Amino acid sequence: MKLGLAIDLDTCVGCHACAVACKEWNGESLMGGAPDYDAWGKAPTGTWYNRIRHFEIEGDPTYSPHRCGATSETGKHEPLSKTVNVPMSCMHCEEAHCVTVCPTGASYKRAEDGIVLVDPSRCMGCNYCAWACPYGARELDENKGVMKKCTLCVDRIYDEQLPEAERQPACVLACPAHARHFGDYDDPKSKVSVLATARGRQSMLDDLGYKPTNAYLSPRKPVEITTELPIKSGLTDKARAFVNRLIQL
Amino acid sequence: MKPALSVIFFTVSSGAGLGLLVWLLIASLMGNHIRMDATTFYKGVALAALLITAGLISSTMHLANRKNAIYALSGFKTSWLSREGLLAVLLYPLAALHLAALHFGYPQVTPITLWLLVALSIAILFCTGMIYGCLRTVPRWNSWLTPAKYVLFGLMSGSVLLPAVLSLRPLEVGPIGKPMMAIFLLVAGLILYLTYLLKHPRNTHSINDALGFKQGNVRLLDAGHSHGTFLTNEFGFVLARDKARLLRWIAIVCAFVVPLLFCWFTKAFWSASIICLAGLLVERWLFFAEAEHVVRLYHGQQRV
Repeated sequence: MKLGLAIDLDTCVGCHACAVACKEWNGESLMGGAPDYDAWGKAPTGTWYNRIRHFEIEGDPTYSPHRCGATSETGKHEPLSKTVNVPMSCMHCEEAHCVTVCPTGASYKRAEDGIVLVDPSRCMGCNYCAWACPYGARELDENKGVMKKCTLCVDRIYDEQLPEAERQPACVLACPAHARHFGDYDDPKSKVSVLATARGRQSMLDDLGYKPTNAYLSPRKPVEITTELPIKSGLTDKARAFVNRLIQL
Repeated sequence: MKPALSVIFFTVSSGAGLGLLVWLLIASLMGNHIRMDATTFYKGVALAALLITAGLISSTMHLANRKNAIYALSGFKTSWLSREGLLAVLLYPLAALHLAALHFGYPQVTPITLWLLVALSIAILFCTGMIYGCLRTVPRWNSWLTPAKYVLFGLMSGSVLLPAVLSLRPLEVGPIGKPMMAIFLLVAGLILYLTYLLKHPRNTHSINDALGFKQGNVRLLDAGHSHGTFLTNEFGFVLARDKARLLRWIAIVCAFVVPLLFCWFTKAFWSASIICLAGLLVERWLFFAEAEHVVRLYHGQQRV
């Protein structure tokens, strides 16, 4: 199995519900522990497994929904075009360099389902795995001095006491826009595989060679709306136009 | 990257100690040329051990959970950090074996242990460099220049310390000649550092690569947090450009030029060593402060 998430950049509204649900589930859980520091103080901060960042894409001709009517000169960027919300958690990479650099063996990737986890009883808090992660997925728990990261809710997804529909990561269940999907990428018929194939993945620092399992589904291309009416010029069309003109006389 | 003082002190101090050990051992073979008596040799070994040990203790200050540090010896198959730690721990019994063989007079054993110690010291320096050099996430470090710098600067600072140690010899041995190895390595170090400054990889990744939107301008609208996070604290360090330029010149002058002048024209080898180590501390601080992690792209930086 190759478990992972598919995150739809088209439908994500950037509400941070996934991050809050993650914090709620993992804040006190057995595997987790995501503490806050100075939570009610002047500079609140804390350990999060999932952070949402918001970006503005300007002048990308593929995604500009304002192409209609915009005068686009060659070489000039078109006007302000698109906002994408990018929730980022552990990608559970196939080539997880964070695991290989770990000196203590605390970081490991499970052979059975590909989930990358940290064993807090071995972690010495050297931060080296966080240095090796390009996606900022790992954050230190400053209270316990051990590295923390997304567990893909490993303590939910196999819990047979939960109803089957709830055996999913907390972030996926919480998403009000259904922008997050969970499944097995080894199964070509699974929802996430189908979505990733149909929609295409965003390439995020792919040249570093980490091979992320999670897919960020590319935004759909907007339908182009032209200001001109479609004019057909077959023989019947001409006849119809002639008749119409006769009627309007 | 956040320039952590514990790590900076560790790499400079242990590097100098390992370099000094290498040159002491090689000097002990050249009895006719470098007249080093046993007491001076032991004094030098004690200084090297002090520098190495102080550095290693300092490196553990960096750990948030020191009680699990013993497990760091287990990941040597894949982790350069673990390899460095393991070899550093192996250094002590091997050095003890060599000193015991010297003391009790086993001339058939000492050459083996001596060259093993030399190889081990250089291997440790290489592993320390590879801890940083292997990280694809920090493009400025991810080149052969990083391990080359760690090995050469370690051997260089050790070679400046060697004549300082030799100046502890009894007076009747006579004056020390010009330390040609130190002069050679200082010149080589200067050339390598200038090469590094001019040639190390930078601006290799853009914010477009980070998000996969290859065309158009991408900019951060909101980072999603109101105050600092672990990531901004660890990777967000920004150094003012004029400050960096000043520090770079201080590093060049103190680590290479002044020790070179001192070694060529004077016999003030202790001063040369201290200035050289101070310059290397500045160089190492810059090495961390100027490194840019690719996660900065997700925090709005346009290029890394």
